[in-house]
Amino acid sequence: MAQMKPRQSWWAQLLRQRILGVVITLIALSLFFSCIAPRFDSLQNGQVIIANAAILAIVAAAQGMVLLTRNLDVSVGAIMGFTAYVAADYAAHHPHVGILLVVIALVMGGALGAVNGLIVAYGKVSPLVATLGTMSLFRGFTYIYAHGQEVTASNLPPWVLLLVDLHIAGIPFLVIVSAVVVSAVAAFLRFFPLGRRIYAIGSNPGASIFCGLRPERMTLFAYILCGTMCGFAGLLYAGRVGTVTVVLASGWELTSLAAAVIGGISVAGGAGSVLGAALGAIVLSMIDNGLVLLHIPEFWRMFVQGSAIVLAVTADAIINKQVRRSLRQLRLGGRVA
Amino acid sequence: MNRFVTWRPTPWEGTLFVLIFCAAGWSAHLSPYYLSLDQILESTRQFIIPGLLALGLMVVVVTAEIDISLASILAVGAVIFARLSAGGIGLAGAIPIVVLICVFLGAFNGFLVARLGLPSLAVTLGTMGAYRGLAFIVGSEAGYTNFSDMYQSPGSDYVLGIIPISLIVFAVVALLMWFLLQKTVFGRRCFAVGRNKDAAWIAGINVKALKITAYAIAGGLAAIAALIWIGQYGSARGDNADGAILFVVTAVVLGGVDINGGRGSVLGVVLALLLLGTLRNGMGLANIGGPVQTVVLGALLTIGVLRPVALRGVQTLRGTLNARRHEREKLAENVNNKTPAQWREKTGENNL
Repeated sequence: MAQMKPRQSWWAQLLRQRILGVVITLIALSLFFSCIAPRFDSLQNGQVIIANAAILAIVAAAQGMVLLTRNLDVSVGAIMGFTAYVAADYAAHHPHVGILLVVIALVMGGALGAVNGLIVAYGKVSPLVATLGTMSLFRGFTYIYAHGQEVTASNLPPWVLLLVDLHIAGIPFLVIVSAVVVSAVAAFLRFFPLGRRIYAIGSNPGASIFCGLRPERMTLFAYILCGTMCGFAGLLYAGRVGTVTVVLASGWELTSLAAAVIGGISVAGGAGSVLGAALGAIVLSMIDNGLVLLHIPEFWRMFVQGSAIVLAVTADAIINKQVRRSLRQLRLGGRVA
Repeated sequence: MNRFVTWRPTPWEGTLFVLIFCAAGWSAHLSPYYLSLDQILESTRQFIIPGLLALGLMVVVVTAEIDISLASILAVGAVIFARLSAGGIGLAGAIPIVVLICVFLGAFNGFLVARLGLPSLAVTLGTMGAYRGLAFIVGSEAGYTNFSDMYQSPGSDYVLGIIPISLIVFAVVALLMWFLLQKTVFGRRCFAVGRNKDAAWIAGINVKALKITAYAIAGGLAAIAALIWIGQYGSARGDNADGAILFVVTAVVLGGVDINGGRGSVLGVVLALLLLGTLRNGMGLANIGGPVQTVVLGALLTIGVLRPVALRGVQTLRGTLNARRHEREKLAENVNNKTPAQWREKTGENNL
């Protein structure tokens, strides 16, 4: 037991480190921007940043969960767009749809996610190529379904728009919903057996098979949950922007991946937390906000996001190397003793 | 053996041949304007730019990696051409500069993937955004259209009046890539690395350098594609070729290149490009809109990627059936053709 002790505390240290990375980035960025950007450090601006990050946080958590299984989903934006359009269109034709609208969005997102999951998990296809294909499929279906039309805010049922703009005790409703969803998923991944299995198959697929897990099922499950969350996020986004077009949420695959890896989720699978991914979304939102306040052209955003992905992935690889080295030393140390 | 009969198309390449003729027949059926040499040669220009990217991507995929930042590298190349053209530099001076820069961008991907050991799909997704941003930063937001005729000629002129120069460039590049992958040590090593990286390393291949080279080649081909682009469209802007990567990946996958590395042929990729080009041309003639074309492309990519899976399934099924039949036949043989005495003699039971 004496030998186990240092390892445990060391793992705890590592866990802290992963979240710590994004927290430090967050603090450093806010200090940086408050020094050089005017009006950055006002309470109102802080609210804007958090509100803008709310929907992205859900998508980033969804993307992060798929990353945990050593896979990737570049169709998140297309799922959001397709679901948002179908839901908005349905709501425009049936004004008294009520809570059924949410059910439609969730089921449809889940179904689209299941298509991804089936191809990736049971087809054993490279997740990037498979979801690149489904991305164009979903987006194309949206175009065909829409027939060049769009759903404007006046067609949406008023309660959707009201709900999205609602503030409860000064906090935007969207932020509360986002916080609840992300914490629920984080708790699920942390405390439920199924959640732990998702970590297990991402961390070491071979070992998880020997332990009697079925990686295919877990992967499929992760993709379905990811799709469901994206469908929900799509609905929220539709309510937020009001006018639902066919190109809604295009480019979110890059943004969500950036948020997830900045948040400390390892692209090699099995490490990180979706809470970090949500914090990563706030980091991106803060960068956007800062760039706008500094009057820097909009296209720098893409450069920053892309570079952020590369930097975060590099940092992750370096940490992983350190982890492996420390583990080996621990093992060797144990044998010598 | 006669060396001419040693070349045989693989079943998949044969299938692609048949599909191309089907698509061409369908297009001819849809439009009376399809069957003319002018039209067909002109239509090839549609797939030359993604085709050059596909030939580059193929080398990377053969080594079991992927690069989806190629379209962004093309955009960077195009805006640098624009900058050089605005600066009054001749084409002969501009090409080496752009090729060098694009090779460097490709090699940087390779460095991140091979040297730092990062997963290629996440890294090139990142550099896709970064290079795209870079293209906007270099080229500023407004497009550049004042290219001189010299800059435009490779992408817009014709030989003998009807053959586009870009088609000849593509053919030469395809031949070179075929030679490189099939006939040189480097090419065979690419396949070896893609099939089994560790075995290749043990066999003394410098895996990291080889992967970086593969990425650099892809970057260089993106520079050539950029040159064709400015000739064909006469403009350079940061969002050039945005979304072209779908067509490129589809061509590579449909061409029979194994996305897990180690398998594939240049002929297959070229045939897949011809098929996709014919389909696109036919759909254009038939007035089928862009969204439907995107769906068709996505469906083809998904089918292409699931094809090995289906093949594996069929093989397993056939294997099981064969094994069962074999077992049954053996059993029948034993029961029918041997008297009990023979049986005992055979199994050595009479020794007891």
